Amino acid sequence: MLGYLARRLAMTVPTLLLVAIGVFALVRLIPGDPVQVMLGDAADPAQAAQLRAQLGLDQPMPVQFMHWIGKLAAGDFGHSITNNLAVLPLILDRFQVSAVIVLVAVAAAACIAVPAGLVAAWKQNSLLDLSVVGGATLLLSIPSFWLGLLLLLLFGLKLKWLPVIGYVPFAENVWQAATFIVLPIATLTMVEIGVLTRMARAASIEVLRLEYVTHARAKGVPEWRVLARHVLPNAFAPTWTLIGLVLGHLLGGIAVIETVFTLPGLGRLLVDSIFARDYPVVQGCLLFTAVIYVLVNLIVDLCYPLFDPRVTVA
Amino acid sequence: MRRRRPSPPWALGLAALALLATLGKAGAETLLRTRLNADIRSTDPGTNRDANTDAVVAHIVEGLVAFRDDTSIGPMLAESWAVSNEGKTYTFRLRQGVKFHNGAAMTADDVVWSLKRWLDPATQWRCLSEFSATGIARIEKIEAPDAQTVAITLDQPTALFLPTLARPDCGQTAIIHRDSVGPDGKWITPVGTGPFKLGEWKRGQYMDLIRFDGYVSRSEPRTGYTGAKDVKVDRVRFNVIPDSSAAKAGLLSGSLDVIMSLSIPDLEELKSRPEVQLSITPALGLTGILFQTRDPLLKDVRIRRAIALSIDTAQIVDAVMMGTARPNNSALPLGSPFYSEAQSHGYTQNIAEAKKLLLEAGYRGQPIKMITNKRYSFVFDSSVLVQAMAQAVGINIELEVMDWAAQLDRYNRGDYQSMAFVYSARLDPSLSFEMLTGPKASQPRKVWDNPEGQEMLRQSMMIDDTAKRQALFDEMHKRFIADVPMIALFNGAELTALRKSIKGYAGWLYPEPRFWGVMVE
Repeated sequence: MLGYLARRLAMTVPTLLLVAIGVFALVRLIPGDPVQVMLGDAADPAQAAQLRAQLGLDQPMPVQFMHWIGKLAAGDFGHSITNNLAVLPLILDRFQVSAVIVLVAVAAAACIAVPAGLVAAWKQNSLLDLSVVGGATLLLSIPSFWLGLLLLLLFGLKLKWLPVIGYVPFAENVWQAATFIVLPIATLTMVEIGVLTRMARAASIEVLRLEYVTHARAKGVPEWRVLARHVLPNAFAPTWTLIGLVLGHLLGGIAVIETVFTLPGLGRLLVDSIFARDYPVVQGCLLFTAVIYVLVNLIVDLCYPLFDPRVTVA
Repeated sequence: MRRRRPSPPWALGLAALALLATLGKAGAETLLRTRLNADIRSTDPGTNRDANTDAVVAHIVEGLVAFRDDTSIGPMLAESWAVSNEGKTYTFRLRQGVKFHNGAAMTADDVVWSLKRWLDPATQWRCLSEFSATGIARIEKIEAPDAQTVAITLDQPTALFLPTLARPDCGQTAIIHRDSVGPDGKWITPVGTGPFKLGEWKRGQYMDLIRFDGYVSRSEPRTGYTGAKDVKVDRVRFNVIPDSSAAKAGLLSGSLDVIMSLSIPDLEELKSRPEVQLSITPALGLTGILFQTRDPLLKDVRIRRAIALSIDTAQIVDAVMMGTARPNNSALPLGSPFYSEAQSHGYTQNIAEAKKLLLEAGYRGQPIKMITNKRYSFVFDSSVLVQAMAQAVGINIELEVMDWAAQLDRYNRGDYQSMAFVYSARLDPSLSFEMLTGPKASQPRKVWDNPEGQEMLRQSMMIDDTAKRQALFDEMHKRFIADVPMIALFNGAELTALRKSIKGYAGWLYPEPRFWGVMVE
């Protein structure tokens, strides 16, 4: 187990280095530079050159890259070009917001989707199954920003139950914090229920066809016990892998939700930084997301044997 | 009759929370809530800045002089000034009794210290280059003959000295207290003389401005960034809300009181809402179609002129701005005191003439690429209409949509055939022409490369005589229209939506809000 963990962690180093090179190159390939965005249409060439030199952007690309990587190795993600804040604390601060929303949403989605998928598979081709599949497909097809806006209009504007804009950290006021994140979490949960339900249903159908299920039924085991004891654990394993993927995917794609609900999360930081061509922040956000993605997948792999004892890590 | 179902317990709980929050607010401070589409960059005036930064900082600090509503220059911290030594020495008499946010009285010593700090290259003041060898004039001396007088001597006379001091992007050349910086000279916080003090700044979330109770207001009515600054709220909160739909929802739900810089589609939607009032003010920005006059095809003035004659500016502006702006083919904005009868002569649609010019130029439908963006709906819509109108005379324009940073890059390099572009506000007519005029070889972003135009521009910056400046601007306009380096279309409008409970708000030519004189009822 420890050996496996060490090997997996060692493997992440070249992966992250490749990501770093890719991120650096891609960000520099986008036309437009931060100095121009900062100075706008009234940019004085001498002033622009001075600012560029001050930010180290006048150096050749390889020098800039080595400078960045050298600092990264020491845990320094650099400073934002637009507001001179240290990038890592900025990311960690914003990540807390995104992490709460994504984790709660995925957990909620899994709690609803797995039983729903199981029941749909159990009653395959019935009206119930059709409704679950139809509902899941519908949720899957709705763009998250649109769903978010609809919820915002309904609960924020029409019913006025929840605040429309703003954010309060949990540490400051738990109740207020909850009112601000209910809608974003609900939106993400609904979107992810679609994906997870279909996966849970497909996995359950496969398990229901296996001989040990027939055997259990033949033995006279009650149906609820067949489902809970034999089908659910075995159907959950593939869904678990997908949950890992969904987590990573959500962290990368939460920008839309954070923009709609004006949450100061990682996704919005990334988008704002791209528009401002704030290279250190864009690079930091992308690299950080990659690290999280790798870690989430590692945790998923390490937990896999818990749900499927046939799998071992060694 | 159907019975109403009781609300679920969690909804009742939330409603109770909301009620408690409302009760808690009763008798509390008056708060005005507004929106910024992005966080400010810093609190150091005129250094690490953008338009949002300027807008917030303008509530905290003040300079010697400031722009009035009509873009003329008025006194702010100066009571008056005199110009001598053939226009080279400006002697400012300071207002008495002005206090900084830390309670200290403002003296000539503070003014000298502030000005010297701006002129120190280490400060990285945006407008330092204006006072360098290539700028408007060099500052040779700053002296304080007594505690209420400051004298500044330039190396040459210039009409732009006071307008430059007043420029919002120069941080209004703010007079700040030395407590604003630490012993190492590093910026800490603005200790200014403005009607608001800096409150809490939660990066990415909001910034609070608190009323400065020791503020000593000017007596004349509010005008531009000068005149009376009577603060009628305890606190102003600028919420950072990038998404305009979210901001609109915030306004309609009552979470926001004021949202500025509305887009035209938002304006149309908000017009019908009873809880909302609108403020529509002419703006100073300039939207137009730029041509690269060094392009093999577009270097022929006949083709550029044919495009100008193919379009109906008034129709474009009506469609794009929904009646909130007027057409203007001049580089000078409509609200400028120098906008005279001469500037009103622009391009009149003439399809026959356009076709004739194209024939003479030997144009055979070669595609002309036009860069545009969707950051500003009016820029994109204008480019689509220009494309359609030009097509009617046989001109083949192809649109290329870019994000703003990418377009700015192409603009700065002069790397385009044509582009639909929007210039930010310039507060002096010389600066309006300066943003367009210059040699392309050394300044590729300039669109009008005409040596005579450049000479007239230089003169307009030196002469202080209004009539002589007017004559220069009129002549420059005539040549600009003849050369067609760009088609100026309109200056746009600053559109602000406010809850009905807000009184006393007024927009002005400069597209930034002022929250003094504004009440929450």
